[in-house]
Amino acid sequence: MTTELSSFARRVHGFIQHCPAGCCADSGPGSRDSDFNALAVALFQLQFRCNVPYRRWCDAQGTRPESVTHWTQIPAVPAAAFKEWDLTCLAPAERTRVFESSGTTGQRPSRHFHGADSLALYETSLWAWWRHHVPDGFVADRCLILTPPAGQAPHSSLVHMFDFVRQQLGAGDGAFVGRVNAAGAWELDFERLLLRVTGDGPPSTASAPDRQSQPWLVLGTAFSFVQLLDELARRDCRLRLPVGSFVLETGGYKGRSRALPKAGLYQLITAWLGVPVANIVCEYGMSELSSQAYDLTGRRREGNAAEFRHFQFPNWARARVISPETGREVEVGGTGLLRIYDLANVFSVLAIQTEDLAVRRSTGFALLGRAGAAEPRGCSLMPA
Amino acid sequence: MSLPHYFLADLPAEATLTPKLLAETCAALKHNRRHYLVTRTTDDIIGALVEVAAGWLQPEGELRQLALDVGPVELGFSRPTLARGLDEFFRQLTRENFERLLEQEFSEVQRLDELVASRVERASGKTALATGPGLLVHIAAGNIPNPTLTSMIFGLLVRSAQVVKCGRGTTLLPRLFAHSLYRVDPKLAACLEVVEWPGGATELEQVLWAVADCVTATGRDETLVKIQRELPHPIRFLGHGHRLSFGYVARDLLNLAEVDHLVRAAADDVTAWDQLGCLSPHVFFVQNGGALAPEQFAAKLAGELERCERTAPRGGVPTATAAIIATRRQIYQMRSAQGEATHVWQSPDSTAWTVVCEAESPFPVSCLHRFIHIRPVSGVTEVLQVADAHRRQVSTVGLAVPRSQWAGVARQLGRWGASRICPLGQMQRPPLTWRQDGRPALADLVTWTDCES
Repeated sequence: MTTELSSFARRVHGFIQHCPAGCCADSGPGSRDSDFNALAVALFQLQFRCNVPYRRWCDAQGTRPESVTHWTQIPAVPAAAFKEWDLTCLAPAERTRVFESSGTTGQRPSRHFHGADSLALYETSLWAWWRHHVPDGFVADRCLILTPPAGQAPHSSLVHMFDFVRQQLGAGDGAFVGRVNAAGAWELDFERLLLRVTGDGPPSTASAPDRQSQPWLVLGTAFSFVQLLDELARRDCRLRLPVGSFVLETGGYKGRSRALPKAGLYQLITAWLGVPVANIVCEYGMSELSSQAYDLTGRRREGNAAEFRHFQFPNWARARVISPETGREVEVGGTGLLRIYDLANVFSVLAIQTEDLAVRRSTGFALLGRAGAAEPRGCSLMPA
Repeated sequence: MSLPHYFLADLPAEATLTPKLLAETCAALKHNRRHYLVTRTTDDIIGALVEVAAGWLQPEGELRQLALDVGPVELGFSRPTLARGLDEFFRQLTRENFERLLEQEFSEVQRLDELVASRVERASGKTALATGPGLLVHIAAGNIPNPTLTSMIFGLLVRSAQVVKCGRGTTLLPRLFAHSLYRVDPKLAACLEVVEWPGGATELEQVLWAVADCVTATGRDETLVKIQRELPHPIRFLGHGHRLSFGYVARDLLNLAEVDHLVRAAADDVTAWDQLGCLSPHVFFVQNGGALAPEQFAAKLAGELERCERTAPRGGVPTATAAIIATRRQIYQMRSAQGEATHVWQSPDSTAWTVVCEAESPFPVSCLHRFIHIRPVSGVTEVLQVADAHRRQVSTVGLAVPRSQWAGVARQLGRWGASRICPLGQMQRPPLTWRQDGRPALADLVTWTDCES
């Protein structure tokens, strides 16, 4: 079984590598729809056989492998199911790595199991789409990552992604300036961050843009940026990163910092780090997936209007926005729940029903946020 | 909606309510109270309230029609759901019920009019008078009118000038009620004001706190704590935090002869105000071992909810709410698919209603909007164990148990902490004499004058 999956993973590697640079589902003839469909349907058949909880889910919906001819017919498993069942095709001995969701304290996390082959595919997928959204040319010692290093957060898919990128850039482990505190929460090591950015000298606070120095690549979660910006404000320490510096932010706040609307966060990043909005990209990913979406492609970087800021997955992962009322895809402009079909999820489940609300755009989607406390828990009483 | 601008909430949205205007309004209310309200008799006020209620119960009544026309959009309830809720509320407002309420609270119906003596007081040579606060401020929450309208009616009974502050977009029914009072008795209505602003408008709230004699508030516990912290010391504060409710069905009634009646009653409790009230059930605990199993009760309830959907549909919900319902359904469906003891019934092609039957679960807190849980149990003792995590929040328990067991089960629930026990099907229909949160209905509002002669 695993051999069959590994062999399938090689086909997906091939598909990814043969996608033209920047190719996504909306790229017209270049999107290779029929190839995607053939792979998705074949992968569904494989997962139906290998993944027992998923097969039961399909059975309950009356979906049989022979009845699926198009990828949109593949049953999507609710993301929350990763909390209760081992939704994996890997035998227990092959599960060498697990990525867990970063839920709120006391909540059971989602668990997405990986082995050597699935991690390799994860990395192929992330790197191919990353390179299309994040400029290259950053030198090794100009990479700053606001999360804890992989050693402190071994179950974070995000940290794994950042660590992989760090290695591709040739940067050392010192790029990470976050840490896990005694309570298990992520926080910034602000002193180390400042030392790293400014060297031994005072922070560059000159008002003129610095066109001489090498630019920085700064990666972090939205809440880590808020922590950074709040601390800079507290110290009244305005950094001006060199021209060409680039910021990637991802994820929600989950109560770990004050929550800011995107536009406000980006304004503050510009004000306190000196990175213009055109050089800030947002990534959307989740531990249950192996591919990511970005909200600002290189070709749109000139126009920064909010309406251009919608997410796109690469060609090997497709997103649909599903009406929670009817279960059908909404029209362009409609709001619903995001459903992802990710070919890189060879060893788990390719179709994931997320709890994220999104607006369908003619290309891609705009993210509205989490639908709410979806897992029955706690007391969510209504006013009466 | 064209209504004369009698109340601040009638003003167009662009009109700004300033602290100065609010302060002047409060001064006018106090003045009107002195001239038009404290001089009235209880009998007289009850007469006006009964007439107002009769107007609301007239099928063609203008304000009722307005409520039913505008309500579905403004409040999110379907017309039949709204009509039923209004009917059940206003039917309670009879002279007999008002007199029972006064007698329950003060032993004597005339207690608010003059110094009178109850039997016990007569024996000790004493008379007493109860007086309501001069200016009563209500901070209302949510779009179900009953708690707010009840507060307004109680305020009138105790002769208080009143400011009713509603949350954004929820003034419709308090406003229309105020207008209906104006039509019957303009001077009484001149002692009442309905206003609306989003929470946190500190400047306006400070004006109210400065002139209020008593503040009542409904809302989240954090909101109540915040209000109480802001109040100057001597002001009386009556807070009602969120509560939850559940039902219990004993196995003796789970038979073919009784089940249709039971599921109709259960569906009534779920569909009333679309399950959004504190008195609406989150779960029905159903005892194992009857002629019909809890799963069969659940299936029949699902059928009844579908029938209700055709006659009194659930109101429209925002996509975000539908998303929560859809996501929760999927989790239970997934459990069901894995062969666990979970069963799901749901409305086709919509999120209108859902029934989930799951054994061995902790207390299932519903996402409401007609999403009801059935939890099989061995008996009342298990109910209390499962519900214990929410004991301090429980309001109403709807019961379906044989008459012979009623007193025993009710006593057990009461000792445990339930503040109201009623027959299944009556959960959203508390009587006028209901002591909300286990506190006196009217008596918490007044101050007593004891006269020893």
